[in-house]
Amino acid sequence: MPELPETRFSKRIDAALSAAGRAASWLWLVLLGVIVVNVTLRYVFGEGRIELEELQWHLNAAAFLAAIAYGYRVDSHIRIDLISSRLPPRRRAWIELLGTALLLLPFLALVLWFGVPFFWHSWAVSEVSASPGGLPWRWLLKALLPLTALFLIAAAAARLSRVWRYLATGDVATGDGGDGR
Amino acid sequence: MSGSEALALSMIAAFIGLVFTGYPIAWVLGGLAVLYTAIAIVLEVDFHIPTNVDWFYASVTVDRIWDLMENWVMVALPMFIFMGILLDRSGIARDLLTGFARLFGPVRGGLAITVTVIGVLLAASTGIIGASVVLLGLLGLPVMLERGYDKRFASGTVCAVGTLGILIPPSIMLVVMADRMSMSVGDLFLGALLPGMLLAGLYILYVAGVGLLRPAHAPAGGGEPLDLRGAWQLVKAVVPAAFLILAVLGSIFFGLATPTEAAGVGAAGALLLALLKRALSRKVMAEVLEETSRTTGFIFGVIVGAVAFTLVLRGLGGDELIERALLGLPFGPTGILVCILLATFVLGFFLDWLELTLIILPLVSPVIASLAFDPVWFTVMFAVCLQTSFLTPPVGGALFYLRGIAPPGVDLPVIYRGVAPFIVIQLLGLAAIFHWRELVTWLPAQAYG
Repeated sequence: MPELPETRFSKRIDAALSAAGRAASWLWLVLLGVIVVNVTLRYVFGEGRIELEELQWHLNAAAFLAAIAYGYRVDSHIRIDLISSRLPPRRRAWIELLGTALLLLPFLALVLWFGVPFFWHSWAVSEVSASPGGLPWRWLLKALLPLTALFLIAAAAARLSRVWRYLATGDVATGDGGDGR
Repeated sequence: MSGSEALALSMIAAFIGLVFTGYPIAWVLGGLAVLYTAIAIVLEVDFHIPTNVDWFYASVTVDRIWDLMENWVMVALPMFIFMGILLDRSGIARDLLTGFARLFGPVRGGLAITVTVIGVLLAASTGIIGASVVLLGLLGLPVMLERGYDKRFASGTVCAVGTLGILIPPSIMLVVMADRMSMSVGDLFLGALLPGMLLAGLYILYVAGVGLLRPAHAPAGGGEPLDLRGAWQLVKAVVPAAFLILAVLGSIFFGLATPTEAAGVGAAGALLLALLKRALSRKVMAEVLEETSRTTGFIFGVIVGAVAFTLVLRGLGGDELIERALLGLPFGPTGILVCILLATFVLGFFLDWLELTLIILPLVSPVIASLAFDPVWFTVMFAVCLQTSFLTPPVGGALFYLRGIAPPGVDLPVIYRGVAPFIVIQLLGLAAIFHWRELVTWLPAQAYG
């Protein structure tokens, strides 16, 4: 990848995603705390708490969805650069453009398209945990899936605008490099 | 072959072609799922070729992602990642490895042996391959490279040793397999224990052999020999860390905690050690958490993409195609068994253990039963095949986990070449288990005999 130039549009989106991603990463610490409290309660006070166990995977789901979006922002999703690392920068920019338009965006559209009714159904029936003592508001967690798809679509649009500017003008990044690394 | 099966084959081919464009694998997998759903609909509507795949079928992707979200066992993954990164950033892992390195200093390849031994301990505590590779990669790889180890040898060792986690019990993969095969989890755990140890032993032999025959690839430690002060530092480094590993390992082994809880408690222990060491500022903490997100993000990203891809591939009949080919073979029972294992090995190049365990194992288990083979013996060999699949390019999981956290310069081609000898070792181990069935059957018989 060449150092892609930023656009006014991409700067706003990327800044928002970076801030959200960094903030969400503190969820891991909360998750750790919940596990420790749960284990302590069980062994010291002999008390099993369903809601604390459910809270663990709720937190994990929220944090890993945020991490997938953040990973896109900082470009840490795994690529096989065996061949592509030897390609000229312009061709790699074209790959990025086509991949985003033909692979990433259709996939995100699928998740969004079916994720919204998935959340909507849960909201309509006020779905709660099936286990006794489980957590309420399951729709809230289910809403995170289409929401993540939406975030990623915004991030992909930001990336497209940068690739487009690079291909159209040949500009490269100035200053901080712009890709968050 | 039907039209939709031909489509399934071309889907696999398209995946292999597209990953080499360098576009992220997660999105290649997910994107192909959508593209092939569209192609299947066009074939069905305009050419009247039945495909069974439509948008409603593809929408199950969302339910599968939800399964992943509510999977409590997967919570262990970020916790082990956090633990590994924290042990690394706070310098605890470094102290541990340099301490061991001084101990093994005079031995050529000593560091690689240390990594292997620590890897076996991890395997016995986590059973989550991504976490093992990540932890070993963060712990061992930078130190080995610093000491002048060959990049390929060092990264190959880390990957291969990391995969032992999925074979040596307790292991999540074995639990799922026991469920699919309707066998006792305990039997399968006991059956896999000796084969796992055999492979670990072969690894150590190989690593020590490289140190002996090719000293340039695995130099001796180099540092000063162990004096009294060094010994005290080693004890100071080892005791807390060993306590941590033992706590994680022991609590799972004696059934005190689930892997998720053990991972969380282990992460908390690492946090405590870092605080005691005064190595933890707010800034370091934020960096550790951010790095946890990066690593967790790309691992879950690939899982999400693979979920969609395999869903559509299965819908097109890709798995039935494979099943028919296997059962129509003109060989005797042993020949069919060898073919199944071989096919599993080959499929492992492209599919991951979960898909293979959930699709292939139920398909072949009636065949195995009717051929009167010991199911535990077969399942353990199947497990070794899937463990190997983590090492085989282009989509071996361990390779990507390591690539995600490896220092610059350790790229996929380097790792590919590094794991090649270990794949050979895996096949040797598999042959040994095939020949000496007692390796699997002896221990369960002792326990329940």
